Amino acid sequence: MATQPNPPSPDRDGPTVTHRPSTTTLAAARARRFAAAFLEGPVFVALVAVVETLVATALLGVPLSPAPAVVGLVAFAVYATDHVADAEADAASTPERAAAARRHADLFTAAAALAYGLAVAVALFGGPLALAITLLPGVCWVCYASDWLPTVGDALPGVAERVPRLKDVLLVNSLVVAVAWATALTLLPLAFAAPAIEGPPNVAGLDPAVAPVAAVVFAYFLLRSFVDVEVPNVRDVRADREAGVATLPTALGVRRTRRTLYLVDGVVVALIAAAGAADLLAPVHVAALLVGVTVSLATTGLVGRVRERRLLGIAPECSYLVAAAALLLLG
Amino acid sequence: MFPIAPLRAVVTVAVIVGVAAAIVAWRERPEPGATPLAVLLAGQAWWAVFLVFELQAETLAAKAFWYDVQWVGVVAIPVAWLVFALEYTGRDRLVTRKTVAALCVVPAVTVLLAASGDPYGLLLRDRWIESTAFGDFVGAAPGVWYYVTAGYTYLLGLFGTIPLLQLVRDEARAFKAQSAALIVGTLAPWTTNALHLVGVVPDALAGFDPTPLSFAVTGVAYLGALTRFRLLRTSPSAMPRARRYVFDQVHEAAVVIDNHGYVVDYNRDAEAALGLDPDDALGRPAAAVVPAYDRLPETDGDTERLTIEGTDGWRPYDVTVTPLSDSRSRQVGRVVTYHDVGAYLRQQQRLDVLDRVLRHNIRTETNLIHGYASVVGEDPEHAESAAVIQESASRILQLSERTRSIASMFSEEADPLDPTPTGPLLANATERLRDRYPDATIEVGPVPESTYVAASLDVVVEQLLTNAISHNDEPNPTAWVTTAVVDDWVHVAVADDGPGIDAEEWAVIDRGRESPLEHGSGLGLWLVKWGTDLAGGRMEMADRPGGDGAVVTVEVPMLPPPADEEESETGEDDRAGGDDESPESARPDRSDD
Repeated sequence: MATQPNPPSPDRDGPTVTHRPSTTTLAAARARRFAAAFLEGPVFVALVAVVETLVATALLGVPLSPAPAVVGLVAFAVYATDHVADAEADAASTPERAAAARRHADLFTAAAALAYGLAVAVALFGGPLALAITLLPGVCWVCYASDWLPTVGDALPGVAERVPRLKDVLLVNSLVVAVAWATALTLLPLAFAAPAIEGPPNVAGLDPAVAPVAAVVFAYFLLRSFVDVEVPNVRDVRADREAGVATLPTALGVRRTRRTLYLVDGVVVALIAAAGAADLLAPVHVAALLVGVTVSLATTGLVGRVRERRLLGIAPECSYLVAAAALLLLG
Repeated sequence: MFPIAPLRAVVTVAVIVGVAAAIVAWRERPEPGATPLAVLLAGQAWWAVFLVFELQAETLAAKAFWYDVQWVGVVAIPVAWLVFALEYTGRDRLVTRKTVAALCVVPAVTVLLAASGDPYGLLLRDRWIESTAFGDFVGAAPGVWYYVTAGYTYLLGLFGTIPLLQLVRDEARAFKAQSAALIVGTLAPWTTNALHLVGVVPDALAGFDPTPLSFAVTGVAYLGALTRFRLLRTSPSAMPRARRYVFDQVHEAAVVIDNHGYVVDYNRDAEAALGLDPDDALGRPAAAVVPAYDRLPETDGDTERLTIEGTDGWRPYDVTVTPLSDSRSRQVGRVVTYHDVGAYLRQQQRLDVLDRVLRHNIRTETNLIHGYASVVGEDPEHAESAAVIQESASRILQLSERTRSIASMFSEEADPLDPTPTGPLLANATERLRDRYPDATIEVGPVPESTYVAASLDVVVEQLLTNAISHNDEPNPTAWVTTAVVDDWVHVAVADDGPGIDAEEWAVIDRGRESPLEHGSGLGLWLVKWGTDLAGGRMEMADRPGGDGAVVTVEVPMLPPPADEEESETGEDDRAGGDDESPESARPDRSDD
């Protein structure tokens, strides 16, 4: 068998047979590293973002549009740039992703820049509102993770204390991410559905009847995104403490974080149920979203109880894939 | 939606590459030029994006709104371009908050006029919907301020291009490529816009400003420069400061004079040594401020020794005038350098006096001592004492000879680096030792043919043989000279059967300095070290294998033969043989021996 030890070859340099991994083992290890880098990398996040936007499009009842592609491109651009910028800090928590980001930093940056450029170009078809929504995650990232805010703070006269990145501030970090994505996921399909180009970005062109549903969808993605951000923070708690990033796990501890996230998911369940009861969401949609939240609750239950750190980074994103699959099956 | 596919395609490309290049440039902060380049590219993308909305809008009011929004990008571009060019080419001293604020005045007024609805028609006197082959755009009758903005834009563009044009001619290929890409990317929209303004455009483009379309070319060029030519990563911004630093830090006063005889620059040494006043000297006639201007060498490139009064009084300077030429070999000025040779001259004078004392005074005195000791020694009662006096006098004479050898080695008259054939050099040195020590045996092994070494090796070999024989207690001392060539280095080993070299003596030489407590007993080994150093070589000492004594191996680089020797093949073999007649020029300044 290929995995059995080879006979000794004393006339050759290099490790002995007991140390030399077989070709199969090397291939398997390489495949595992690739899978880990993919699942933790920006392409997987972008694919999940596309699925989320498709779910939002279905919930809002608007026609299919370029919105999922735009959100996917923006998600890829933002997270690829973020992974490159934080590669050093991420080395402990997500080593494969950090290694890939370091090794291909220039490629990541160029690909992210082109992806964002393409997203902006496509967003023009949705009018000024679509353009503004497309730019929002990028602007948030600049304030959230880059050194732009501290640099501006240093340059301003009279600012004695160093202005922190939003990423370093408790709750603000998670809320900024959640608001940015919830806005993009909810409003972009609506903007593409009714482009209004007769003035500055506004929601006047949107159908007023869709506003309550949009509010529910926005709240759903806001709360779910908040949970999605905080669950991986449990995995990163040590690295975050060393980097001075304040998150729920670093501030409250793992157990209280888990309870807080249960509470947030509970609010999401109540929201979905209330929307269903008010006929804002179809029963199929309610069922699919509840399946997704169930996965989220299960993931939250694993917080601090499993040693597989990678699971906490991927599982929250998978809840959307499960919800989308449920939507397809039930719809 | 866009009605015309080609326009949609071009503007889409312009937006994609513009945004992408802006992000890449922004990621390069805080490299010099990164932020303004990102602003420039963002400005272009802004212009293109809102041109799309202008096209898509249906009413004149909506089209006019998006037209006015475009002004933000339009006016940001020239300011960002100039600031980028200044930072990128190392002229960042000019980029201050005040200068940037001043540069932004015209753009700010333009944006304010557009935002306020331009009530007095300063920016645009009239607007209407212009139907073109590409769609309906805003047609406008330019107002006074429109021409101010347009002129201002082109002026800043020109100022920013000048330093980049200089880089196109730079020797570094990376900077040539970067600046060429930047200029191509910048000329494309300017040319397009200029053609639009003067109305020289195809009929299909009549009434439409195609400038944003050319941003596709700009974006591709800039993105290529950023990713392919490492723009902002391999940056020339340090070069002007580095050159200024070297100019200021060089230990020579330097004054730059233009073709009309006016002082245009000078370095810190000139300010300190020649007493030039920063507020007074620059821009003034050189004759009025440059010391000894009327006595400068008349021929460019010549050096004249002048005594000049400076801040430290009268000092001697070697003054050199070097012409400065532009890239077309046209003389644009001269650099006058003042090299302070006061310390050098004093050292040279000390050596000259010492040489005279050693050559004349000590030799005369020792000859007297020797002579009178001979007279005294004729009396058998004092013969032994007289012999001791004579030996002591001889040692004093020998010491003075060695000291003179050192002085000769460092004198200007002989070049210790003159290529000299190894064979004759060794033969010459050996012959002198055989004459001086007839009881000694000196065996010289085969010498590699056609090898040349520095002339200073002559003194080195002579001194090594002198040490080998004079410090040998044997009645018939023996020394061996062997030569080999290893990797273009000539190895000359001098071995003896004497008591060897004291480890302390060698340690002093190895350490390179003496102190009152740790010092050698003479000058011989120092002479060997300095001669070897002058020849660019090194030396090692070891015990002689298989017997008493020491081996000192000197390794010096093999030199190319002199030009006249290369041309003449005749006699080269004879010289390389080592035992035949050798030219006197092989020995530096030994005429008194």
